[in-house]
Amino acid sequence: MGADQLIASLEQLGNEFQEAIRPLADEQAIRAAQAQFLGKKGKVSEVMKELSRLPPADRPLVGAAVNRVKADIEEHVARRLRELADAVARADLARAVDVTLPARPAGGGHLHLLTQVRLESVQIFAELGFVVAEGPQIETDWHTFEALGTPKDHPARDMQDTFYVSDEIVLRSHTSPVQIRTMQTQAPPIRIVAPGHVFRRDDDATHSPMFTQLEGLAVDEGISFADLKGVLIHYVSRFFARDLTVRFRPSYFPFVEPGAEVDMQCSFCMGKSTSCRLCKGTGWLEIGGSGMVDPVVFGHVGIDAERYTGFAFGMGLERMAMLRNGVDNIKFYYEGDLRFLEQF
Amino acid sequence: MKVLWSWLLELCDLDRVPTVEEGARALTRGGLEVEGMTDLGAGFRGVVVAEVVGKQPHPKSDKLTLVDVITERGGAATQVVCGANNVPEPGGRVLWAQIGAVLPNGMTLAPKEVRGVVSPGMLCSEDELGLGADHSGIIVLDAADRTPLGAPGQRALGLDDWLLELNAPANRGDVLGHLGVARELAAMLNGKLVWPDTDLAAHRGGAAPVAYRIAIADPDACPRYTARAIEGVRVGPSPVRIAQRLRGVGVRPISNLVDITNYVMFELGQPLHAFDAATLETNIIGVTPAADGERFQTLDGVERALVAGDLVIRDRDRAIALAGVMGGLATEVTDKTTRVLLEAASFRAVTVRRTGRRLGLRSEASLRFERGVDPELAEIASARAARLMCELAGGTVAGDVFDAYPGARRTPAIVVRMPRVRMLSGMPLDVATSRDALARLGFQVGGGEADGPIGEPADGAADGAAGGSADGAAGEDQTLRVTPPSARADVTREVDVIEEIVRVVGYEQVGATIPTLRQAPGVRPANAAELARAALANAGASEAITFAYQSVERNAALGLPATDRRAQPIAIQNPMSADQAVMRTSLLPNLLAAVARNGSHGRPDVALFEVGSVFLRRGEGAPDQPIRELADEPVWVAGVVAGRRPAQIGLGAPYDVFDAKALALVVVRAIAGSDAAVRTQPARDISYLHPGVAGQLVLSGPIVFGWFGEVHPAVRARLGVDGAVYAFELELARIPLAPPPQMRPIPRFPGSARDVSLLLGDAIPAGRVEEVIAEAGEALVSRVRLLEEYRDAKLGEGQKSMLWSIEYRSPERTLTDVEVDRAHEAIVARLVDALPAQRR
Repeated sequence: MGADQLIASLEQLGNEFQEAIRPLADEQAIRAAQAQFLGKKGKVSEVMKELSRLPPADRPLVGAAVNRVKADIEEHVARRLRELADAVARADLARAVDVTLPARPAGGGHLHLLTQVRLESVQIFAELGFVVAEGPQIETDWHTFEALGTPKDHPARDMQDTFYVSDEIVLRSHTSPVQIRTMQTQAPPIRIVAPGHVFRRDDDATHSPMFTQLEGLAVDEGISFADLKGVLIHYVSRFFARDLTVRFRPSYFPFVEPGAEVDMQCSFCMGKSTSCRLCKGTGWLEIGGSGMVDPVVFGHVGIDAERYTGFAFGMGLERMAMLRNGVDNIKFYYEGDLRFLEQF
Repeated sequence: MKVLWSWLLELCDLDRVPTVEEGARALTRGGLEVEGMTDLGAGFRGVVVAEVVGKQPHPKSDKLTLVDVITERGGAATQVVCGANNVPEPGGRVLWAQIGAVLPNGMTLAPKEVRGVVSPGMLCSEDELGLGADHSGIIVLDAADRTPLGAPGQRALGLDDWLLELNAPANRGDVLGHLGVARELAAMLNGKLVWPDTDLAAHRGGAAPVAYRIAIADPDACPRYTARAIEGVRVGPSPVRIAQRLRGVGVRPISNLVDITNYVMFELGQPLHAFDAATLETNIIGVTPAADGERFQTLDGVERALVAGDLVIRDRDRAIALAGVMGGLATEVTDKTTRVLLEAASFRAVTVRRTGRRLGLRSEASLRFERGVDPELAEIASARAARLMCELAGGTVAGDVFDAYPGARRTPAIVVRMPRVRMLSGMPLDVATSRDALARLGFQVGGGEADGPIGEPADGAADGAAGGSADGAAGEDQTLRVTPPSARADVTREVDVIEEIVRVVGYEQVGATIPTLRQAPGVRPANAAELARAALANAGASEAITFAYQSVERNAALGLPATDRRAQPIAIQNPMSADQAVMRTSLLPNLLAAVARNGSHGRPDVALFEVGSVFLRRGEGAPDQPIRELADEPVWVAGVVAGRRPAQIGLGAPYDVFDAKALALVVVRAIAGSDAAVRTQPARDISYLHPGVAGQLVLSGPIVFGWFGEVHPAVRARLGVDGAVYAFELELARIPLAPPPQMRPIPRFPGSARDVSLLLGDAIPAGRVEEVIAEAGEALVSRVRLLEEYRDAKLGEGQKSMLWSIEYRSPERTLTDVEVDRAHEAIVARLVDALPAQRR
């Protein structure tokens, strides 16, 4: 064969290859076809064998044609692969899913509303430097009453009808014994909040025999009644995320003097309705008791009442959630009823 | 405490008569919370005072009368048909419900024909106005009544009044009478207290026919006892005004003598007792302790057994009254009484309280003694009641009061330091303001002159606030010497006086400050309970909070052996119901009951948890006896799953024991950082778990810190649960809180895995395979995974197949196949030998 013929058949091979891979739709087949033409025993190699028989002067010409064909074939392969990849990508984008189907369930558990209220409340007081303290729920009569200025036969014992487990041991009727335990073991300055369960013989839509109190105590030099007001006003406005008026009303608790009942402006009617269901038209909602620590209490725990003063407060977390979250019967908190628990 | 607005106003001298709302606000602001206000006249309207000017029989009925009435002097008469038989003669005054009047039963009056005569309304009986049960006749007003004609009936009846319901603080015995409340009202509105009339000058008779001798055994139990003789009384009904006031405060009028003792008690707060002097056998009135077992018939007719702690009033040896609680039947006043011996005394609160409690007798009198009655009041109240008995029952006072007052006391003045007042209140209070506040409450205030420094200097912050305090720097260190009125036994200390000052000035006048922090709050360790709660909620369980007490049956539902501490719950001695019998010893019974409850609401798919204390007896002591020391109150975490897991579409797969195990390990990871150290062992003997589907969770030590499994079918049946429930419980304190995790190097070299397929006995737990691999101590092992577990007939009875994958990795280099194979084969050989197992 002469050089011209060889060049022609090489070009022929190029065309042949292009035809051969046109119908092929996967990379493996394309690579196989490529090997048929460019492999050691491929068609192009067959033609190359003729090269040695040509006169040396013609060889470069034919050699160049070989390289051209090789490059052509490789380019065809690349282009075809690219076409195939594009087709796959196009096909993938044609997929469609009904995204309005339900989501796969994930998580789905709920912290109890009272836990949320407790954690939020503790957090608000923590910002003012209060740390959490705890004490036993089954408590001595002494810690629960005597040390808090309420000896046996004191009329204030009527205020809280107490559960007894023995003559001298009670289910604590308030969290105030935590004040005593804290002051017995810690010197001022003291700044604690004590959330926990308490027990009273009382059962109706707003009273449960077990409920949750949050106690607060600050003891230091120079603590004043104004400090008590400031701390509780801060708490109420943070907890309700609203600027609500807080009212302090003189009241009596044996372990504080002066003592104050704490009311807040009705969060439901804002004090504007005379027929409000929540505040019964009074414009005020009672949220807890408070006052300056009575010197009698300091005497029981060995704190110098001349040097130190302090304030204490206590409130019911069930009530706070009732006021903020609209819970209308206290019994829902304790029934483990998912229809309630899952709402919060 | 119930008080009548008109009564309060009578005892106050105020610049301007306040509205009842203003009064209520003032009392509440001062600390006597007004919890309710009732318009006593709201029950009816359109009923007016009318005068009878003529009457004649109804032409067609003997029982009916045609009554001509007028509502203004000289006005035209109107004829009203009346069925009562007590229609007064002309000049008598009655209450006429006119056309359009509304009565308490809701009826609105319209013209009505009665046997042929049209009646424009009706004349009213007590019954028809909701005042009492008396419907025997119409109300005929007292001749002395001065209510003008045509005025609302409420005014003639004393019903143009408000009843205030006060929440009296437990330490304020002084406000259990109108006088004490009036003292507060006057102080808050800057007025004066007006004492009721106690002048007896016009009612003095001869000397007392009997000279009484009062013998008090124990002045502590009875600081004062007064007795006064009133002669020549006539028992009859009380005037409308007295009766109406008593009804207003909730007391049924009985007769003038009894009503007067009650009236004065409500007026002044001093309980009184009237003996029929004719029934007394001697002139010696003794106040002595009861003898144990002594019997005494109280005036309610009940014979009561007394004990040594009770205090009785004696007529020589015979008991005639239970001091401060109730009088005796034998000496009470009756219709025939003409001579009264009036007791006004003061008794120790604790004594009255104990006796009242023990006998279940709480009277209006004992209620007041329990809060403390001012001994100074006794003589005043005695005079007040004597005056009323003379005025209203026609008696005369015989001689002077017999007064034994062994408990008389002069209390020293209370020293009040102005700097202390300012420091505690946080207010820039000056001497003048403080003096004024105290004077308004009837306190005597001395001092106030600059008499040298006492205590620390005034706080600078207080000085700066609320510009220009009246007393200058010279007055800063002043002290006051304060004497409260005798009624205010609750005020004994400086701090009590400070409260009084701030109370009158107004709590709302106190500023609001945030105390400065003098220290960093102490180290605050992570709270394991909160970590557990958050982790479980994130894992899909919802938190329940259940009661710390439960019924005996619910506690017993777990079927624990009697020797288990949890089977010896702490009993509540005074439960309100059987559901409060004992304290819980496990969280599971309440959670299982919640599963049943949710099921009954159509919610069979449940994942609930609780984190809370259980209550266990500490130390020795019989399990059925009350505890002598405090309880152990460990915090447990427990959870239950029942029904099906949530699914994207359709029903989810049923929960199984591994969901319970997963939740348990979620808690461990949240607290301990990792569950790598936890081993699981089968647990066959937990009374409340299925013996074949239960495991215990163990940490090195070994410490068993919890269990999980299928709840025993018998246990769940006892708690009303139908289907399978899986549960876990962990004792929080046994799971160590992780220190902050330390970063480990990221692996730089690839690991390589080798699988091993084992044929082994069905009873060999997967945990054992992991243990054997761990025991091999091969340092290159980086991960062990179970890829497959199955049983089938081809494997043979009691056999199972497990395919495990073990990954090997070195932190220093890429391992060669030879190294990996060597390590792997050593482990496989151990497994085959130790389990035992065959390699497949």
